[in-house]
Amino acid sequence: MRILDSCIGCKMCVPYCPMNAIEVVDKKAVIDLDECVECGTCLKAGVCPTGSLEMEETLPPARQLRKNFSDPWVSHPTTNVPGRGTEEMKTNEVTGRFKRGFCGIAAELGRPGVGTRFYDVEKVAKACAEFGVEFEPLNPVTSIMTDTATGAIDPQYHNEKALSAIVEFICPNEKVTAVLKRIKEVAATLDTVFSLDICCRADEDGTFAMDAYVKEAGIKASINGKTNIGLGRPRAND
Amino acid sequence: MTHTLHRRGTEESLKTDFVVFAITAQSVNAKGMSPVFKKFFDIVKKYNPDNMGDMRQGSVLSVDYSTLVDNVQDNTIAHAVFNDADTVAKVVRELKEADTGASIVISGLRSETARIANATNVELHTQEVSLGIHGKTEKLPSEKVLAITTMCGHGMIASRLVETMVEKIKKGKITAHKAAMEIARQCTCGVGNIKRTESLLREMATM
Repeated sequence: MRILDSCIGCKMCVPYCPMNAIEVVDKKAVIDLDECVECGTCLKAGVCPTGSLEMEETLPPARQLRKNFSDPWVSHPTTNVPGRGTEEMKTNEVTGRFKRGFCGIAAELGRPGVGTRFYDVEKVAKACAEFGVEFEPLNPVTSIMTDTATGAIDPQYHNEKALSAIVEFICPNEKVTAVLKRIKEVAATLDTVFSLDICCRADEDGTFAMDAYVKEAGIKASINGKTNIGLGRPRAND
Repeated sequence: MTHTLHRRGTEESLKTDFVVFAITAQSVNAKGMSPVFKKFFDIVKKYNPDNMGDMRQGSVLSVDYSTLVDNVQDNTIAHAVFNDADTVAKVVRELKEADTGASIVISGLRSETARIANATNVELHTQEVSLGIHGKTEKLPSEKVLAITTMCGHGMIASRLVETMVEKIKKGKITAHKAAMEIARQCTCGVGNIKRTESLLREMATM
């Protein structure tokens, strides 16, 4: 993002920035580009009375990476859907991605509202890789790993910042408790927050098989969740 | 992993917050499915959703409904927000009858979703549960602010915007309803819950 000379320093855009990266100095808005994640929220808000906010048509690769992970209107080449996530369980009755006996775990670094550097993303990815998990191949974070066996992320991106980035993988149920405990350990070493979640096929009686594993890891599951109600067609084989 | 999970709040508050959305699998059944999303919008609109939108165009707070429907694309995700479980059950019943082939997902209280599934005879095929926020949590705003900002899973609602709106409400410069609309407008998927946001803003403005 950039601010044009026509800015009158009215401060209207300031509270809209999710990263608190805009301030007014000498009657002109200034963007801290090290904190700006190129999400475009300030521009989309449409509150600038002089039209002084502008998104560059072409961004350098590192800035484009920030945008890819921060602007939900950008589709990653790996997913073909807008946003920084994947279809994950949303289409599971059609794709059959998560079968019984396996679960999906996702740690969304930087969420909610704090943002993340990719060196922190790598810390979580490496901790999970210790268990031989299968990183989601379509996830944009996986696409910038140099080694999916170790979770290592391309060093050129380590200090780049994004609104959030998701470490997403499948692991067998018997590893869930150990993986979650390791994630809790690495959480203490981060300079950001992350939102954690887990998904799996519901049991035949509708109960959520992961509750016991989560409890054993010392984590409290939320009272709210997300449920695919199985209406998609064609159905994948169970 | 998900833009509608991880909503924060009390059970009482979350009882007023459900998102129903339609999505197709890019590798299987996405091609040519834009009419399915139009059908989805036609159905949910009959039940007066709190908010609506799609991931490619924005919410009905920034795009008018006919434009939204006319320009929907194959690879989008279409959303509608509702304030009570009974209405969601009616919506699910009609979506099931429509049998469009799109995947339908409900975000909300797990107990209420199970009740909806039972009442409408749909299965709980795959479930996902939030396991909370971890790491440097001292960087987070208050739980009251989080209850609003976490409605947008993409992080488009700045905590500072919520705090600014609360101050404006206190000073009588804006109504809680208009402030809620302005906040929800930032969520470009249309999953911000306007009524719940308004209620939370009123609470904060009287503190």
